[in-house]
Amino acid sequence: MANISNIDIARAIYLACKDNIGNKPSFLKDVVKFLARRRFLYRAKDILLNLEKIIHEESGTIVAKVKSARILSEETKREITHSLKKLYSAHKVLYKKSMDENLLGGMRIEVNDEIIDLTVKNKVKKLQEYLTRKV
Amino acid sequence: MSNSTIVENLRKEIDSFSSQVRAEKVGHVVEVFDGIAKVSGLSDVKSSEMVIFPNGETGVALNLEEDTVGAVILDDFSKIKEGDEVKATGKILEIPVSDNLMGRVINSLGVPVDGKGAIKAGKDGMQTYPIEKVAPGVITRLGVSEPVSTGIKVIDATIPIGRGQRELIIGDRQTGKTAIAIDTILNQKGQNLICIYVSIGQKDSKLRKLQTRLEKGGAMAYTVIVSAGASLPAPLLYIAPYAGVAIAEYFMDQGKDVLIIYDDLSKHAIAYREISLLLRRPPGREAFPGDVFYLHSRLLERACRRNKEHGGGSITALPIIETQAGDITAYIPTNVISITDGQIFLETDLFYKGIRPAVNVGSSVSRVGSYAQIKAMKKVAGTLKLDLAQYRELEAFAQFGSDLDESTKKQLERGKRAVEILKQPQYAPVVAERQVTVLYALTKGYMDDVPVDKIKEFEEGLLNYAENNAKKFYKEIIETKMWSEAGEAELKKTIEDFKGGFK
Repeated sequence: MANISNIDIARAIYLACKDNIGNKPSFLKDVVKFLARRRFLYRAKDILLNLEKIIHEESGTIVAKVKSARILSEETKREITHSLKKLYSAHKVLYKKSMDENLLGGMRIEVNDEIIDLTVKNKVKKLQEYLTRKV
Repeated sequence: MSNSTIVENLRKEIDSFSSQVRAEKVGHVVEVFDGIAKVSGLSDVKSSEMVIFPNGETGVALNLEEDTVGAVILDDFSKIKEGDEVKATGKILEIPVSDNLMGRVINSLGVPVDGKGAIKAGKDGMQTYPIEKVAPGVITRLGVSEPVSTGIKVIDATIPIGRGQRELIIGDRQTGKTAIAIDTILNQKGQNLICIYVSIGQKDSKLRKLQTRLEKGGAMAYTVIVSAGASLPAPLLYIAPYAGVAIAEYFMDQGKDVLIIYDDLSKHAIAYREISLLLRRPPGREAFPGDVFYLHSRLLERACRRNKEHGGGSITALPIIETQAGDITAYIPTNVISITDGQIFLETDLFYKGIRPAVNVGSSVSRVGSYAQIKAMKKVAGTLKLDLAQYRELEAFAQFGSDLDESTKKQLERGKRAVEILKQPQYAPVVAERQVTVLYALTKGYMDDVPVDKIKEFEEGLLNYAENNAKKFYKEIIETKMWSEAGEAELKKTIEDFKGGFK
């Protein structure tokens, strides 16, 4: 039998929940039993991460990791939300914010495996690459 | 330059700088071990795409799995940590190429390693060529019809190689495989053939010796060496032949003829096996992965001769395979034998018998090269291969000497002389017209009454004598690749005159 991937299991759990099978009191127990029987319990963390991704995808939610040099103002946050919704055709934007003074200024937004780097540090690095390029 | 000028220039440069912000695809290192990195993310990465690690290390995405990407790291991987950001470049791995590569020693990534400084851009600037490319199609190709003159009598006479051919050199360790390749390079002076020597998993000392030898022979002027020494990690060994053929393609695209030597593909297969096992690909026969045939077939298929409409030029490939105890039925030797257009088989026994180059003419074959052989050589060497093969068979009966009939005895005597004539020292290539002269004398029976131990002396003397007395014949061979009746008569007279005075 072919290998079942983490995404396959996560999608199965998601679809089961959607079809009301997931409402059965024993559902969670059954999932864990299945994982134990197939010796997949060590993959539980990855399966959950994939499940989270699927749920976000289906509900039109994106998770944006924003790293900035200073605390973002409400105005900026609104602007980012607007742009991201447009860019990724999303209904809702969830934020995971962090601060890093080493970025010097600006911010860096990470959505899924895409990065939009608007930091001063990145600009300086690009300028350095431009000035030291081989002519 | 004054300070103000520097500042002014800098200001101008900064003014002309514009940075566009765009979303970049990134991934994160999940695990890193033995030159391999497992990376999460990088959802749109292509197979063989270059990826960049935080400290500028380059990697190549090889395994595209559901959650992760398996990438081989082409630089020092000791600084790469779990969680590091990996950027996709959108480009297939490529190396810089220019005309100034000639005479240089570079590594698999095109970086010079000979201490002669950076490689300058050529007339057309510095171009880059992808290391993986689909081989030229059928429509663009032309049959093999021009010879690669190796200067080695036994090869040029019995196993001729044509431009655009793939001829395998196979044999045990220490049988003179590299020597054949080096002699072939040395013989290309003025032959309009660019040589590329790809060293895969060889000792650096061996490569240094080889480079010195080529420099001494004036061969580095038309040679590029791609070095992936034994001390380098497997990924660099894996990409070395592809880098070499990318350089060859650059020269071929200019309509030039190129000869590329892969020394050797056994070590290349071993490096690929190492990478595949580390990437957890399922092992097959001799633990090689399933696509080890494709590994070499796609490389050797890039050797070709293109027609004029598609730019002309050719790539001749001489892959080398090292066998273990003469076992040519092992996995990699059989694979490469089936891919190439023939093989030159070298034997330890012959080598220790003093027959050098230790070519086993019976097991060696050139499937397309005879079309490329010059007419004169075809005429003198036509029956030589068969004669030699028959001699080897009859050799076993030689011990019953007196019981043999006259024709068998004659065949044995001729065979002994042929073997003696085909012996040749290293670094002493012989040009075509001299080869034809000697082989003419042999096949027409002029040497039959010369004692076997005097054959070498006879050969040397004849060649020196013919140099001055068969000028017309030599000229005809060089210009028309064939002799006329008058030329033949001159050669016959020369041989007879020389023989008359030979003791």
